[in-house]
Amino acid sequence: MTTANAGAETAAETVEKDLTVFLVQRTGAEPDVDQDLFATGVISSMFAMELVVHLEDTYDIEIVGPELSRDNFRSVRAVAAMVLRLSSAEAT
Amino acid sequence: MTAGVDLAAIDTLVGDGPAEWDATGRIPVELLRKLGAMGVLCAEVPAKFGGLGATSLANGELAAHIGGLCSSLRSVMTVQGIAAATVRRFGDREQRRHYLGLLTSGKLACSAFSEPGAGSDLSGMATRIRPAGDGTGDVIVSGEKMWITGAAYADFVMVLGRYGDGDDGAAAMVPADAPGVSIEPVPSPLGCRAATHCRVVLDDVRIPADAVLGGGRQPLSLLFTIALSYGRMSVAWGCVGILRACLTAAAVDARTREQGGGPIAEHQLVARHIAELYTSERIATQVCVHAAEQWDRSAPDAAVTAVLAKQVGATHAARGAATAVQVLASRGFSDGHVVARAYRDAKAMELIEGSTEISQLVLARHAIDTI
Repeated sequence: MTTANAGAETAAETVEKDLTVFLVQRTGAEPDVDQDLFATGVISSMFAMELVVHLEDTYDIEIVGPELSRDNFRSVRAVAAMVLRLSSAEAT
Repeated sequence: MTAGVDLAAIDTLVGDGPAEWDATGRIPVELLRKLGAMGVLCAEVPAKFGGLGATSLANGELAAHIGGLCSSLRSVMTVQGIAAATVRRFGDREQRRHYLGLLTSGKLACSAFSEPGAGSDLSGMATRIRPAGDGTGDVIVSGEKMWITGAAYADFVMVLGRYGDGDDGAAAMVPADAPGVSIEPVPSPLGCRAATHCRVVLDDVRIPADAVLGGGRQPLSLLFTIALSYGRMSVAWGCVGILRACLTAAAVDARTREQGGGPIAEHQLVARHIAELYTSERIATQVCVHAAEQWDRSAPDAAVTAVLAKQVGATHAARGAATAVQVLASRGFSDGHVVARAYRDAKAMELIEGSTEISQLVLARHAIDTI
């Protein structure tokens, strides 16, 4: 992760941007960072699992147990925050 | 050996039970507990939790082997595996240790999705998993589940529902003997008769908060997909088992039964049946192998490949079982016979874990979105 040493805000923005690119590629939708991804139908049931697998692979993290709460997947901003929290936890 | 399991030992335990289980609608629960304690019913559970640590591919071959012996037994294996896969993904550290340990030491679990008003459309799910709100920290589970496979044997019913009063999901490990749980098998199901298909009523069942996997509040769609995807893989491989059993029965019969001065395999129309059965078995196997490999490498399209495998497996199994009955004719035309069971059981595979039509909708949507 090249973002690990960058400033916290920059790292979050990078993840948010990468995630948005992924969502555009895979769903055709380009959500705002605070848009509710489930309520607005960006994440379908088939895609939900793909997203989890994508995040685990891309950021070398494990998203299990309580981390799978809907709050962590509510928006691009929420997902990015979770990714950063988990990747810094795995690094230590 | 598949997944580190001695298949011959399973064959010995199962013996000639399936025909009788089909007739009586029950598998001896001691046998299920024994297979459970061997780790066979949820073979993908990692060794650190007491499981066999099988890959998706090895577990698939195991499901095919057991599915070739008895689809009812394979169905019990499927639902135990769904519960274990859900615990593994959604449970916290302690829950994983606790429940996966139990599920690999003889305790049995089923998984409860469908409701009277929510079959294919699980978004209609009305079951609620709510904090009791009385200072005990307990949780109250209320709702009605329908067509719950294996519930008659289960020590735990893994209940999927909505969390609190909102739309988020939750999965709870409800002890089958908790006050307020009633489990009632549907009489005389068409197929997988000994798996038991039950109505499960949850009348304000009180459970401790730590029975709710990961504390709940997960996206309902994510809960469904993780749990159902495991089920679809297991059913798909079970269909491979059905096809293998039918192919064997039909080939042996066609080779040995004589009509018109020679074995019936020499009659071209019978030979075509054998060719079609063989083709179906090969197609279903290859699609299942591909899907399992995608799972084992955590491929992004794993969930879709599971739907495809289930769809191909179930439709070929339904057709292949009918073909096998056609070849064996009167020799396979009584309940309990391997092809007669396959004929009824395979039809059930076209209905569960997403009917053929629902699977087609998912596959069409995938094609439209990605091609």
